[in-house]
Amino acid sequence: MKLEEKLKSVRRSPWVFHLNSGSCNACDIEILDALTPYFDAERFGVKLVVSPRHADVVLFTGPVTREVLPKVIRALRAVPRPRVVAAIGSCAVGGGIWWDTYSTIGGFPKLQEILKRYGVEIDRVVYIPGCPARPEAIVYGLLVALGYVKQKVSKVVKTVES
Amino acid sequence: MQVNRIAAPLKLLTIAFKTGRVTKKYPFGPPLITEAFRGAISIDPAKCWGCGACVLVCPPNALDIIFEKEKIVIEYFKGRCIFCGMCADTCPANAITVTKEFELAATNLEDLKEDVVHRVSKCAVCGKPFAPAAELRDVMKMHPITEEYANICPDCRRKRTARAFGMRFGASI
Repeated sequence: MKLEEKLKSVRRSPWVFHLNSGSCNACDIEILDALTPYFDAERFGVKLVVSPRHADVVLFTGPVTREVLPKVIRALRAVPRPRVVAAIGSCAVGGGIWWDTYSTIGGFPKLQEILKRYGVEIDRVVYIPGCPARPEAIVYGLLVALGYVKQKVSKVVKTVES
Repeated sequence: MQVNRIAAPLKLLTIAFKTGRVTKKYPFGPPLITEAFRGAISIDPAKCWGCGACVLVCPPNALDIIFEKEKIVIEYFKGRCIFCGMCADTCPANAITVTKEFELAATNLEDLKEDVVHRVSKCAVCGKPFAPAAELRDVMKMHPITEEYANICPDCRRKRTARAFGMRFGASI
C-alpha cells in the first residue's frame, strides 16, 4: 500500500522520459503521436522531459540490444523512486520478432532480472503490447500505470470439449 | 513591417479557429480505429483442432504449442504478438479471428497469456496418446474414414498394413 500512496503524488502530472533501447522507431513515433494535440496526453499532465533524473515514468521501447544494455541500466538507476516503467511495443514486452536473436536481451522482463542483480528496483511495470502500440494504447497504458483505470485483460484458459 | 509583425499571428489565429478542436476524447470517447486495424487474435475453442499450423507460421513465436502427457496446449502470448494476422489466414478450421482489441495494457505478464487446452485421444491398439481429439473428430467428419481406422496411431497402422500385405503374399505372421 505504500507504493499506492507514493504514486498518488505522481498521479497529478507524471513526467515521462523516453528511453529507446534499440527500437525500430515505430513505437517512438507513436509516443510522439500520443503527446501531440491530436491524442493529447498532456491532458493528464504527461510531459516529456530530457533527463531521467526529472522523470516519474520511463517510456521504454525496444528489445534491449547488447550494445545499449549498460547505458539502459545507468539511465534507469538515475530515475528517482517510485520508478514506474511503461514497456511499449511487442519488442519491449516479450522480445518481439527478435525473441531469440544473439544480439538482443529479449525485452524488459529479461532486463528486469539483470537489473535485480545490479540492485535497481522497479516499483511498477506496465506492459503495453502492440507493433507498434497505438497512441490510444499508450495513453490507456499510462492511465493503468497510474491507477486511473483498471486493466481489462486477464489470463484466459480455454478448454476444448471433444 | 510592423503591420506584418502584428498580422502574422492573427493569420495563425484564423487558421486555428477554422480548424477547431482536433483532440480525440479517447479515454472518455470512442477511439480512432479504422476498418483495416488489426488487434489481438481470439481463438475459438469450438473450432480449433490443435493442429499447430498457426504456430509454424507465427513470425515472433507468440503462438506456441506444448505437448504434454494427456493434453496439448496452444499458448498465445499477446505481449510478443505483432498483430500480422498470418495465423488467421493459415488456420485450416477458421478458428482464429482478428479482433479490434488494443487496450491490452497489463501490470503482470501472466495476464497477457491465453491457453487453449486440447484433450489427446489414445490409440485403440497400444493406448499411446497421439493426436488431439478435436482434430480426429473433424477429420472424420470431412473424409469417409471409419472410426476404427482413424483412432489408431501411425505406428500401429503401419504394422497392421504390413501384416495385411504379408497375409496376401502368403507369409505366416
